[in-house]
Amino acid sequence: MKMPSVKDIIALTLICTVIAGAGSVTGCKESKKIADKSGAQLWSENCQRCHNTPAPKTFNDEHWKTVGMHMQTRALLTDNERDKIVDFLQSFNHL
Amino acid sequence: MNLQKITRLVFIAILLLTNNSYAQDLSKPGNPINDQNVNQAVTTMLPAESDFMMVGLVTFGWINQKQTFGGVSTKQNSIGDADRYEFSPMFLWRHGDKLLAEFEPSWNGYQLGVNWADVAYFVKPGLIIKGGYLVLPFGTYTKRLAAGWINKLTSDPMGVDMAGSDFGIEVEGGLPLGNMKWSYDVSLTNGYQLNNDGTIGNLGIGLNPGITNNDGKTFCGRLALLPLSNSSLELGFSYLYGSMAKPAGASFTNINATDTKGPSVSMMAADLNFVHNVNPVQINIKAQYSATMVSDEKYFDSTALAQYTFTNTTSTLFGQLSLRPSKSNNKILKNLELAMRYVDYTAPKNSGFGQSYNEMDVCLDYWLSWRTVLKLGYENIKSDGYSFGASTGSATTNNLIIQFSTEF
Repeated sequence: MKMPSVKDIIALTLICTVIAGAGSVTGCKESKKIADKSGAQLWSENCQRCHNTPAPKTFNDEHWKTVGMHMQTRALLTDNERDKIVDFLQSFNHL
Repeated sequence: MNLQKITRLVFIAILLLTNNSYAQDLSKPGNPINDQNVNQAVTTMLPAESDFMMVGLVTFGWINQKQTFGGVSTKQNSIGDADRYEFSPMFLWRHGDKLLAEFEPSWNGYQLGVNWADVAYFVKPGLIIKGGYLVLPFGTYTKRLAAGWINKLTSDPMGVDMAGSDFGIEVEGGLPLGNMKWSYDVSLTNGYQLNNDGTIGNLGIGLNPGITNNDGKTFCGRLALLPLSNSSLELGFSYLYGSMAKPAGASFTNINATDTKGPSVSMMAADLNFVHNVNPVQINIKAQYSATMVSDEKYFDSTALAQYTFTNTTSTLFGQLSLRPSKSNNKILKNLELAMRYVDYTAPKNSGFGQSYNEMDVCLDYWLSWRTVLKLGYENIKSDGYSFGASTGSATTNNLIIQFSTEF
């Protein structure tokens, strides 16, 4: 079997990136059922995929935003999920 | 266009994307520098607040080990539990809502290393670009499950440290798909080195200084689908391919004497994650299989002064199940979790590092908080060693472990 060259590898990377980018540009749509989910529901569904659900008052608002971005790069949450979960967790700092 | 030019263009594009919003030319005619103009320019800047925070994890414990090899048993107690100790602060710096820098150094009892050091640019929904020293998107364990306070067992499964971290760029994102969801994660990195015995070395920080692999890049990617609307099931497939660097004075050659092509590696993995609540119990299943295949090479045995070759394929599999009555009304019971895991690891028997290894683990966790856990674990390990096809003996190891881990 002929081994791929460096050019082939870079081309493969670019193709995958273009496919993925096209998916994000053309906008993979979420159903109404998904769009209507609350931050609380998304928090309980997504965090537990890897670890226990975090207690809301663990961080202040700014830190929650930072943690949200970090977790998005790990769990590959959608932007909508990240924003709703962060809003939900921040809301407890204002009760 | 060579790779250096491509890299330069990518960085210039990122710089332009991040800075064009702030371009305010106050010196052009009709726009003199005065308090009013400066104030106006400042107030029209996009929000770009900075936030810096440090989190991290610490894991330590005690181990009682009994190992039997060749009919001889040895016992060992270690308070430090050096094989499982970790102190890893993580520094996060956020600039606005587009840039995030992440740095995690780690002390494992032997040396100070770096797990990752990268910067991420959140381009648009479903598109994140990263650069720096990255955790490769291969399987899920290394990137998501390795932290002591996340791992429900007391050690990492044998062999899951491949593909590790490397220097490069990464493009990733999560996207909705009707009631489902999918994610992609691809990276282009420097790659590995093939050692003289056929094992793979990472060219990461502090290793093999002076050796570069910049002529041959490594592609790695993972695609995942979450087919259920509640995200409880995730199925992922990963693939890696790259040419490898040779050590200085490499003693191996291509198996085809007329072929001058260097060594290469391909890896693939499949992973599964399922978390489901059946009142009052949470069921958590995780599994990952991966295989590493190195191109055929002709190696040199410096003891026998002879050349040899072997099929250089290594595989690792783990599957784990944990049960936690998290919805129980009993305050103690709801914080208990029982976890079980099976690990199977195979390294080529005809190499100098052949091994057939399997491990069965049971662990009882008590959650002191959502991110602090006390574990009581038992590990039973059976390992058969091989060198150039001949058995080097069998070992049985039993570990009793008490471990504490927290995220701070």
